[in-house]
Amino acid sequence: MIEQLGNGLLLGIIIAVASVALSLLYGVTRIVNFAHGEIIALGAIATLFLSSPVDSRVIFLDRFSPLGNNFYISVVISVILCGLLGGILEFFLFRPLRKAEVGNIAVLVVTIGLSLFLRHIYLLFNAKPQNFPLELQRRETYLFFDMTPRNFRVLILGIFVMVLIGLFLNYTRIGKAMRAVRDSNDLASVSGINSDNIILFTWISSSMLAGLAGVFQATINDVRYNMGFLILLLIFAGTVLGGIGTSFGAMVGGFIIGIVVNVSVGLPFMEGHTEAKNAVALAIMILILLFRPQGIFGEKERVS
Amino acid sequence: MNKTVIECNGIAAGYVKGLNILQGVDLIVDEKEIVSIIGPNGAGKSTLLKAIMGIINISGGRFFINGVEKTNTPTHQIVSEGVGYVPQVENVFPSLTIEENLEIGSWSVKGNIKQTISKLYDDFPMLKERHKDKAGNLSGGQRQILALARALVTSPSILLLDEPSAGLSPVAIKEVFEIVKEINSRGVAILLVEQNATRALNFSDRGYVLDQGRNAYQGKGQELLDDPRVIDLYLGKL
Repeated sequence: MIEQLGNGLLLGIIIAVASVALSLLYGVTRIVNFAHGEIIALGAIATLFLSSPVDSRVIFLDRFSPLGNNFYISVVISVILCGLLGGILEFFLFRPLRKAEVGNIAVLVVTIGLSLFLRHIYLLFNAKPQNFPLELQRRETYLFFDMTPRNFRVLILGIFVMVLIGLFLNYTRIGKAMRAVRDSNDLASVSGINSDNIILFTWISSSMLAGLAGVFQATINDVRYNMGFLILLLIFAGTVLGGIGTSFGAMVGGFIIGIVVNVSVGLPFMEGHTEAKNAVALAIMILILLFRPQGIFGEKERVS
Repeated sequence: MNKTVIECNGIAAGYVKGLNILQGVDLIVDEKEIVSIIGPNGAGKSTLLKAIMGIINISGGRFFINGVEKTNTPTHQIVSEGVGYVPQVENVFPSLTIEENLEIGSWSVKGNIKQTISKLYDDFPMLKERHKDKAGNLSGGQRQILALARALVTSPSILLLDEPSAGLSPVAIKEVFEIVKEINSRGVAILLVEQNATRALNFSDRGYVLDQGRNAYQGKGQELLDDPRVIDLYLGKL
């Protein structure tokens, strides 16, 4: 079981970063974004396209060859592209829907449609699982878990990013404004905040985080057109488990889900049934919610 | 003659398109005045405040701040025109600390926010004492005080209050009204929506009685209190 801990931490960091992104967006906009997985996938697919060698077998749409850029520059550009997509979605789709006062359920269905649409566009571009153009690495032991040096760096970078988000939300003006809009959009407006701007900023930052989670996922595993969709349920689980709308909760919930998924592979009754590992994580989520309906870090608020 | 701060001319507005709650309301608030809006449930009192703040769309009529037309101006810009607003419900950010609530309240203020907030702390020692507490943990009365303070950070020239006494104990109501009086004495005009008409009119310079989205009666506070039609319709026999 202990050898799975390393894998658990790695899946945990992917889910945690993606959950924070989803939770920020839900908190500020009340949108349950089913297309979140596709923004994750865009981060990975764009990085693959930008960074694979020009003459490699990664060919997009049977026509375009990759651009062969430096890997790290490609990651930065891809994350920015994801932010751009988020901004475009808010500006041209979700803002008009909000102004027309379209209900939450209808918007949810829109995001499901968007998810399907984007996923099948990716399928056109890149049908087969691919790997980033990175050299193979041998696993090494860190404390008591094994992972490659690159994956270890992903883990450290992920934790660093989450600390940054925490500091940003608690100590910057715009971070506080995001939390204010999350509490009450109308009250934020009557306090002088242009909540449209805050919502746009949230879409951009949430999408950039999702793109980064996609790069993490593809670095640890591989790039697939449906890679975000495959972990979407786990991301929702992480968000709900930590307490909907709390960023810190989403981080912790995401980590717990990631670790439980992988560690459960080592359970005796799981032998030969490893594909059921997600079920164990979701069962634990349900169990925790039965005892703590508001999630681990969700707060019950005084109603007056 | 005092300057007019807010002027509504035949305001029509509602929550759903084609279904107006307000059907042409006129209202004027001069500087340093306390004006109350009373009327039965569903008369459109709170709706009028929301229309002024730009929270809901004005579908007819015109609205002016300091003589400049501001019909359907975005909410955050109304705030920078010097209008403060305390909603009846959801009037603090529960997951933010008291200090953060005041910082958010000062969003449109340029200059030294820390100084403005520390001045507010002198006026409301309770807020200073608990500045690191989350607003969600405050009692109803304390919340109302924080909500008033949040709206005051911008040093508004007029404060719109939507039923500040709702759900409060008699002691807390007395405290809140004393604070509002004190705010007014510093030159801030007050536009007050109240359920308790007697208290509101006793407290105000002038009053408007709304009924079914229209102006029914208006006049000096004491005159309205003594007007038998108002007594009959809205106050009951005293």
